[in-house]
Amino acid sequence: MTLSELLSRAAAGDQAAWNAIVDRFSSLVWATARAHRLSRDDAADVAQTTWLRLVEHLGRIREPERLGAWLATTARHESLRVIRRTGREQPTDESDLFEAPDDETLDRHLLDLERDGSLWRAFAALSDRCKSLLRLLMAEDEPTYEEVGAALGMPVGAIGPTRMRCLDRLRSTTEIAQLGA
Amino acid sequence: MSDDQSDHEAELLGELRRLARTVDPVPEDVTAFARAALGWRRVDSELAELLADSRLDTESLARSEGDSGRLLSFRAADLELDLELRETDRGIVILGQLAPATPAQLDVQRDDRATLATGSADDVGRFRLELTERGRVRLVVRRDPHAAPVETSWFDAP
Repeated sequence: MTLSELLSRAAAGDQAAWNAIVDRFSSLVWATARAHRLSRDDAADVAQTTWLRLVEHLGRIREPERLGAWLATTARHESLRVIRRTGREQPTDESDLFEAPDDETLDRHLLDLERDGSLWRAFAALSDRCKSLLRLLMAEDEPTYEEVGAALGMPVGAIGPTRMRCLDRLRSTTEIAQLGA
Repeated sequence: MSDDQSDHEAELLGELRRLARTVDPVPEDVTAFARAALGWRRVDSELAELLADSRLDTESLARSEGDSGRLLSFRAADLELDLELRETDRGIVILGQLAPATPAQLDVQRDDRATLATGSADDVGRFRLELTERGRVRLVVRRDPHAAPVETSWFDAP
């Protein structure tokens, strides 16, 4: 079913159509808030408000096929609102955001301690710009560049080169970390 | 960029995505909230969109450190609402003005479906609502029984 059909059905109260929209974009909305370096609590606030805004605007989305970009823009605005409300540029509990998971967490999830641990530590050591962009690109069904641009307020033309540079840096750091292990 | 390079990039990103799925997934309560949000769909009411919020305007923030509280403006097709939110010892006071001036019934709804306050606007469209609890709220304005109710966008109180 197309996004246009899902949106009209949801506007008419079809819960299954609405759930399909939520399932498709919840990862993008969450990643947008987390890419703004918000704590889990603040990111949850942003995600909830973003979904309420879509409900408010059901039946009035002008370009249904660009719903992902609309949600990313809304989640970005709500993220900036939370940052202003709390009066800080960056969250104080940043540690909960991009910190490498501890061995216990990795173990619990049956991840490869050495490999995944070193990858996540290398990610955590990247610049803020790289972390934001890569966290967004980690959303399910890799977001389009239009969605990424909307989520981060970044020109679409800058995304490809930045993505390549950040992944290069991540790979070289990870390789160094593995050599030293 | 060679295909090799782009394959490497895609592979690395795939690994990161797998990790994010495990260490930073969308919380289940957020997904549950999102699904339930459809229940707030407007059927026969009209949306009053947020036009201005003094909290998001750094100049007025600096200015409002004195007496006035947070100022919010909303607009629907034929109704404007101006609100001032102040924190008091007992909770939050909302002072409001409807334009054009009209008597009306008002409800403050919270996103957990609780009604935090009810009140009415006088002949010149002024009203005062007192909240003892905080949260994400909206106002529902009912003018004469034949007109569609107006609902504001959601906002945080205070």
